[in-house]
Amino acid sequence: MNALTLDAISVPDRLHDISLALPPGVLVGLIGPNGSGKSTLLQVAGGLLASSGRVAWNDRPLNSIPFLERGRLAAWIPQEAHFEFGFSVRSVVAQGRYAYQDDEYGVDAALAALDLAPLADRPVNRLSGGERQRVLLARALVTGAPLQLWDEPLAPLDPRHALEVLRNARRLTRDGHTVVLSLHDLRAAHSLDTVIVLDHGRLRAVGKPAEVLTPDLLLSVFGVRVGREPGFTFELP
Amino acid sequence: MPACLQRSAFPLALLALGLAALGSLAYGDLALSPARIWAGLLHRDDIAATVLWHIRLPRLCVAALIGAGLSAGGLMMQAYFRNSLASPGLLGVSAGGAAGAVIAIGAGWATASIIAVPLSAIVGAFLATAAVLIFARRGASTERLLLAGIALNALLGAVVSYVLSNFTLSYERNAQIIFWMLGGLEDRSWEHVLTAAPIVVLAALIVPLGRPMDLLSLGEREAQSLGVDVRRLRRSLLALTTLLAALATAVAGTVGFVGLIVPHILRLMFGAEHRRLVPLALVCGPTFVIVCDLIGRFAGGLRLGIVTSFIGGPFFLWLLRRKS
Repeated sequence: MNALTLDAISVPDRLHDISLALPPGVLVGLIGPNGSGKSTLLQVAGGLLASSGRVAWNDRPLNSIPFLERGRLAAWIPQEAHFEFGFSVRSVVAQGRYAYQDDEYGVDAALAALDLAPLADRPVNRLSGGERQRVLLARALVTGAPLQLWDEPLAPLDPRHALEVLRNARRLTRDGHTVVLSLHDLRAAHSLDTVIVLDHGRLRAVGKPAEVLTPDLLLSVFGVRVGREPGFTFELP
Repeated sequence: MPACLQRSAFPLALLALGLAALGSLAYGDLALSPARIWAGLLHRDDIAATVLWHIRLPRLCVAALIGAGLSAGGLMMQAYFRNSLASPGLLGVSAGGAAGAVIAIGAGWATASIIAVPLSAIVGAFLATAAVLIFARRGASTERLLLAGIALNALLGAVVSYVLSNFTLSYERNAQIIFWMLGGLEDRSWEHVLTAAPIVVLAALIVPLGRPMDLLSLGEREAQSLGVDVRRLRRSLLALTTLLAALATAVAGTVGFVGLIVPHILRLMFGAEHRRLVPLALVCGPTFVIVCDLIGRFAGGLRLGIVTSFIGGPFFLWLLRRKS
């Protein structure tokens, strides 16, 4: 069984004939230069953007799954969150239970997991970019959805919160969930189970980071040379 | 706001509505005591009965209906456009309804059938909504939304002026048109109450949309990813808002700013959750319009549309300042 199957996905001018399948329980990094189609691919995979080709979750074709059930099967997080209205942090996170009749299950745990408990009563339209991102991550966690699609979740986060998000993602995959996240931090990508490399809307490579992220590929896709200088590395204490 | 007050918000809102309604029935050239209102309603007091059943009660009902329609309409538009400054009045949907109504009066259809005015108001409002959608996409910036509203309001104002200047109108028709442009509750009859009565049904349809509106107001794709059928919800919101604005305009002319003020005050007091805001707007909207009408009557017969604009204009400017 595959958690996510994309079959011949095309979106005019943005994605060209992309096919791939991801097994359950893997932590997947989606990388590629700016404008290579990462966000588009995540939206198509989440059933949020029309495309040609076929999308399936757990081998079920997406178009056979009713909207409410989709809310239980996959969670998607946008790259940037804009909140117009002053909902409290807690109530936005609780929206993740919409597909479960708003039972509030797991809301407190998710707030704690993303370090949001002290902000629970704050209005979301007064938060910083990184805090907003953590609210969205917490909302995605409470859905309990087996497929998690996160669009650059680490970009606005400070180093410690970024590491914590990766730890949360790792925890999810150990429970059999599949997490696909786009990122620009190639060093972080190297620590994931699988990487997908996009270039100009085309699938360049899929596989284990050590096999895929070769100096040749990095030079031709990203235009960077791999350095072997040790430099800093960071981990949670 | 203290938690106990938060919890009892709805009963308190109902109480306020009851008091406003009582005030509206009591105040006038013939002041009526609560006891006399009761007697009048039961036809035990002939003079009071005549005043209440022929003048004040229909006026009260129309005020309550348009208050509910306009404030719920504003709330839905704000969730739809994800912009707290959207409302049927500012975006020109009410003006579309008014233009439709004016054309129906000017062309003489209004005398032929009592549903001609509401029907053409509905057509006008839907055309205006379609135009808004073309110019201001969902999630559009405040500037774009308001500019589209200005353009549409000006265009529809020109339609009204054209009707006024080019039809060879009788004095009576001209007066009727002026009435629509000002917005008011004078001489409202049970016929008007009946015309606006569908607002009750539409209001009942809005209540279950409160929860999905919460999700939609924070982003369409996000809402869909959480399990909302966004396309269907958007269609429902737009159809309901437009119908409400059209019906309200058909019976009381253009009454501005209600859809902006009521949702805003409620949001400031009770937070952003539409689950709570929808029922509150349906109760507090009527209260607001009834009180505005009372203020106008205290002031010696100021029309409702003038009172709401006197309150709403400065309020809107304050909001705009706060937002930037």
